[in-house]
Amino acid sequence: MNARVDRSEPEMVTLEVDGVELQAPKGSMLIQATDPAGIDIPRFCYHRKLSIAANCRMCLVEVERAPKPLPACATPVAEGMKVWTRSKGAVAAQRGVMEFLLINHPLDCPICDQGGECELQDLSMGFGRSLSRFSERKRVVKDEDLGPLVATEMTRCIHCTRCVRFLDEIAGQYELGGMYRGEHMEISTFSGRGVRSELSGNIIDLCPVGALTSKPFRFRARAWEMLSHPGIAPHDAIGSNLYIHQVQGTVKRVVPRDNEKINESWIADRDRFSYEGVYSPDRLQRPLLRRGDTWEEVKWQDALQATVMGLQRTVGEYGTEQLGAWVSPSATLEEMYLLGRLLRGLGCHNIDHRLRQADFRDDTVAPAFPYLGLPLVDVERLDAALVIGSYTRWDLPLFNHRLRKAALAGGKVMFLNPRAFDWNFPLADEYVVSVRDFAVELALIVAALAEYKAVARPERLDTWLARRAPTAVHRRIAERLAQGERSGVFVGALVEAHPAGAELRALAALLAELSGSGYGVLSQGANSAGAWQVGAIPQRQPGHAGKSGLNLRQMIEEPRRGLILFNVEPEFDCWDSAAAQQAVAAAEFVLVFSPYVTEAMRAYADVILPMATFTETAGTFVNAEGLWQSFSGLTKPPGEARPAWRILRVLGNQLGLEGFEYNAPNEIYSEIRELIDHGTPPALPKWQPAGLEPVKLDGLLRVGTTGIYALDPLVRRAAALQRTVQADDALAYLAPQTAARLGIEGGAQVRVCQRSQAVQLRAHLDPDLPADTVWISAGLSATAALGPMIGQLTVECL
Amino acid sequence: MQAIRDLFNSFLLIELLQGLRLTGRHLFTRKYTVEYPEERAPQSPRFRGLHALRRYPNGEERCIACKLCEAVCPALAITIEAEPRADGTRRTTRYDIDLFKCIYCGFCEESCPVDSIVETRIYEYHFERRGENIIHKQELLALGDQYEQQLAKDRAADAPYR
Amino acid sequence: MPEISSYTVNFGPQHPAAHGVLRLVLEMDGEVVRRVDPHIGLLHRATEKLAETKPFNQSIGYMDRLDYVSMMCNEHAYVLAIEKLLGLEPPLRAQYIRVLFDELTRILNHLLWLGAHALDVGAMTVFLYCFAKREDLMDCYEAVSGTRMHATYYRPGGVYRDLPMRMPHYQPSPKRSQKDLERLNRARQGSMLDYIEHFAAEFPHCIDEYETLLTDNRIWKQRLVDVAVVDPERALQLGFTGPMLRGSGVEWDLRKKQPYAVYDQLAFDIPVGTNGDCYDRYLVRVEEMRQSVRLITQCVDWLRANPGPVMVADHKVAPPSREEMKDDMESLIHHFKLFTEGYCVPEGEAYAAVEAPKGEFGAYIVSDGANKPYRLKLRAPGFAHLAAMDEMSRGHMLADVVTIIGTLDVVFGEIDR
Repeated sequence: MNARVDRSEPEMVTLEVDGVELQAPKGSMLIQATDPAGIDIPRFCYHRKLSIAANCRMCLVEVERAPKPLPACATPVAEGMKVWTRSKGAVAAQRGVMEFLLINHPLDCPICDQGGECELQDLSMGFGRSLSRFSERKRVVKDEDLGPLVATEMTRCIHCTRCVRFLDEIAGQYELGGMYRGEHMEISTFSGRGVRSELSGNIIDLCPVGALTSKPFRFRARAWEMLSHPGIAPHDAIGSNLYIHQVQGTVKRVVPRDNEKINESWIADRDRFSYEGVYSPDRLQRPLLRRGDTWEEVKWQDALQATVMGLQRTVGEYGTEQLGAWVSPSATLEEMYLLGRLLRGLGCHNIDHRLRQADFRDDTVAPAFPYLGLPLVDVERLDAALVIGSYTRWDLPLFNHRLRKAALAGGKVMFLNPRAFDWNFPLADEYVVSVRDFAVELALIVAALAEYKAVARPERLDTWLARRAPTAVHRRIAERLAQGERSGVFVGALVEAHPAGAELRALAALLAELSGSGYGVLSQGANSAGAWQVGAIPQRQPGHAGKSGLNLRQMIEEPRRGLILFNVEPEFDCWDSAAAQQAVAAAEFVLVFSPYVTEAMRAYADVILPMATFTETAGTFVNAEGLWQSFSGLTKPPGEARPAWRILRVLGNQLGLEGFEYNAPNEIYSEIRELIDHGTPPALPKWQPAGLEPVKLDGLLRVGTTGIYALDPLVRRAAALQRTVQADDALAYLAPQTAARLGIEGGAQVRVCQRSQAVQLRAHLDPDLPADTVWISAGLSATAALGPMIGQLTVECL
Repeated sequence: MQAIRDLFNSFLLIELLQGLRLTGRHLFTRKYTVEYPEERAPQSPRFRGLHALRRYPNGEERCIACKLCEAVCPALAITIEAEPRADGTRRTTRYDIDLFKCIYCGFCEESCPVDSIVETRIYEYHFERRGENIIHKQELLALGDQYEQQLAKDRAADAPYR
Repeated sequence: MPEISSYTVNFGPQHPAAHGVLRLVLEMDGEVVRRVDPHIGLLHRATEKLAETKPFNQSIGYMDRLDYVSMMCNEHAYVLAIEKLLGLEPPLRAQYIRVLFDELTRILNHLLWLGAHALDVGAMTVFLYCFAKREDLMDCYEAVSGTRMHATYYRPGGVYRDLPMRMPHYQPSPKRSQKDLERLNRARQGSMLDYIEHFAAEFPHCIDEYETLLTDNRIWKQRLVDVAVVDPERALQLGFTGPMLRGSGVEWDLRKKQPYAVYDQLAFDIPVGTNGDCYDRYLVRVEEMRQSVRLITQCVDWLRANPGPVMVADHKVAPPSREEMKDDMESLIHHFKLFTEGYCVPEGEAYAAVEAPKGEFGAYIVSDGANKPYRLKLRAPGFAHLAAMDEMSRGHMLADVVTIIGTLDVVFGEIDR
């Protein structure tokens, strides 16, 4: 686990298994040689992604000249080795192990969710006795509450320790462990705090028996009745591959689909449990139309007619410039493309998906799309990485997993953050500075790098240096990046939300260029990369730059008369939610595409068109490494909700726009594909500091990103995820000295005020925060009334 | 000689008269007729008629939504939906049997690990409206309650053979 | 005089003599049949295709519904084919029970055939007597399996449950005196074997009675003798099996020639006809009933003397008993898996045939190693027999068509499948 990956050609040995000659790399285990050859050896504890425990003893095989049967998972291959997996001795050994595993197993099959897909059942059928000889009492183990996601029935546990090893080795949190010995052994948390890893759902898949099962899925369906469909996770820029399991048109659960290039065998809990949001009580079944102060459920025809009239009236009265569209960064490529075409067909370029971006000054010089800088698989091979402004565990759990692998393999992973986060791997450096100083610190690192490389400081760098000189930490970071054979600089959610984001991105890119690193953007939403390419940004159209429109911040600051909200909830999804809400309220005509309807929506919208969620529509997501992944719809949207591409298509027709005659989403896809060069990753942005003036931040700062389970409308409605500790984050985190200065005690209710908007929150003291920072997460209903995610605020004790 | 006898027999309609004698005799024997519905043909404890869901003596429904019956049903006549009940136990929220689809093979009863779904001795039932062919959980439980004594007796009688 | 050329008559599918849903298009020359064109498929239920989508055991119930007057014989062929693939030998007692019920089924089938045949030809009484006797056999089906027809009783590895030690009784009713009730229940006092023994003892007299009514009856003979003569060579060419073949004088019976179950340990004779006409086939079938009684008696004696298991103990194929399932982990797992997934059958193909009452009923299974058949082909004897309808009817009168349908003993459940 800790050894670096050896890429040289391994030495091969030849062995014979069941009379078949096999080749295997020297030092590999027997089971690793037989698995690819299709020789089936029963096992419980062995998992190719986990370390070898050899504690279930199910994989016993006979080896020539070995006095006893040996476990195939822990026996290294040797030249000339002769192995029998189905010989009399091997079968007897396997049968004996199986009998022991079952003596304490409860007779739960009928009520156990694992029934039908249980490895214990399968191996008992295949390798065990058909009658038990055990007539004594079985042991009973007390259950523990592991949280709202994982259900436990620990009496069923066979102590394979896959969950223990997963949480330790992959999730990086040693949250479960084996306690006591022998018959009294129990798998348990030490603390009783439950399992809190953001990858915890994977232990459900790993558990070979029904000891760990999914809580939201509990008792809902049987393995044999579900149909499995491939899908793509709709939340983050990883684009995890999924299997979506449905019964009679209802999604019952989501499990990972192996893809070594993207998500390996894992998915984040966000991707696994967000399907619950598809069945939220908020789902809108029929188009809604405002009639004065009341809402009416109408036919599609009427809703579309009202939409067309509303749009045309706005354009007619105020001109096309007064229209605007806010698009969710998790909309599909097809939806974004059609919406862009629709808007531009009306002569308007005000379309943007960068809901949480603060600084748009680098729009013209930005690369083709926010690229990760390198393929995801290469992240785990990085020698050095600097991540600026991101809690990657929450923002991109599987990117974090790759970073963790890099760190464990000896890579130096460094963070520049305004807060010390709870990391699950050893960091080479966690440099906590106020967001106010981000640009200065980055400039200092660049300066240190220039010194190290003995090159001249790039032009205008001094503008940001603020007359400071690089210190040891800057030099350390710079040197590591420069020394690393493979290194990367990544900018995260806080850079996007930073009012000086353009400067930070430029400096980070400069740093990457100088150090020979990759420059990666950890974009938000499932399809930011796609949005940039298909024109869900004001300054570019698919395939070419065009006439530019207003970006999202401009649309908020100069509210438009007519607005299209595409699966966006301004109070949760925007950088400055207070201003966004005001802008929406100020619009005369608001058209909302949304799978859900909320009270807030009823207050500002004029037409609400019910659209399909990710399981109900076909589409394409482009992930951070530029990979296009298409998926098809597998369930029917509720009521009269329709896939959004279809709504947009009809709307395009009714608006009299040309070229909206699509019959299937793949027609749209091929059209996009022809327009866009998708083969080459975008080039590193060049250092062009001319005209970029440092933005100053004053006073006490509110800093916060969107919580892991507050990212988009779907996940905000996933009931189980909302019950997790991660979702319960409506706190104002302050450094103790700040709190002391303001006379606030930990746990006290405080009044937090940004501009004229104030909310009440509980204060929480966090010594790892800079003195000028109050961390308040966005995307929560408790903080929806606040202003910018990074901006000035006042805190007072109540 | 045989030919003469055959001719004689033929001429005298002997075989027809023998037949008539037989039917005549049957005219006066006891009837086989079972006068349904006052009388019914005998039914064994193994009889496979209309379904029912049973309860434990304490009133708790037996069914634990394991869905074995749904899985084994060759005719796909059973539809079960389940979720945790308020007390956390595994229970059905829906248990429908489409009697138009059911082929009364008895596999559901064989598969049931808790003797919940059973086939009763009832074979006389009818439907008057569309949709009545689908029999729901509450009706099945009611049938189980109504015939519990007979059901328990029949299961007990057949227990040594199963 | 206008010239009358041949004209076409439609016969069935709703005709009392059509034995189900047979439709014939008859080309007539006056009263004389020139050509018969049987139309089939009106009862097609895609049983073979259906079986491909279900675990092996789940199709047993559909076998009953093929030839729905010889239910258990169909099951027998199907489970034999599975057992062949699995290399499974059911316990001896199960094999005796299977033979016992095969023979009861043969009588059940022949009684229906005889009754219906006689009715078609014009003898109403026989029909009533036959059906009355069929009730006793249906009661056996019901007592052992729980249903009077579609038993689902044979399973790969044996039979579902042992024969009950007690026959169900008639219950008191206002319509029947106590004495009468006792008379009805007299044969039901003991076990099922006692009941069958009682049946076997009195049934030959019943056959005598049917024969009294028919065998020498001049009308019966006039309608049957020399009608639809098939010579032995032609019968073989036409793919005849069972009584249809034996009526033509070919001594071919799978129970003797390719013995399955325990037929090789039992004594019985094979009746063979000489002329190959409807009358011979009638005689053959009647004699078969008598031979069946012989077999039944032998089985009853053996079963009485040899208690034992009726299902293999291998729970990888046969579910464990309920008692075991309820307090034994391994058994519960096997129960669970067998009722959800079923068992996997090794890759390969097998054909197993039984001497069903109508002839050779065979099941051909191709397995790809999964838990459901890759392909199931059923050989139904009636299909080949019906194919000869045209040849057998040509030159006969319209009224003989009914006789010929009767002698074919067709049941559309198996022909259409």
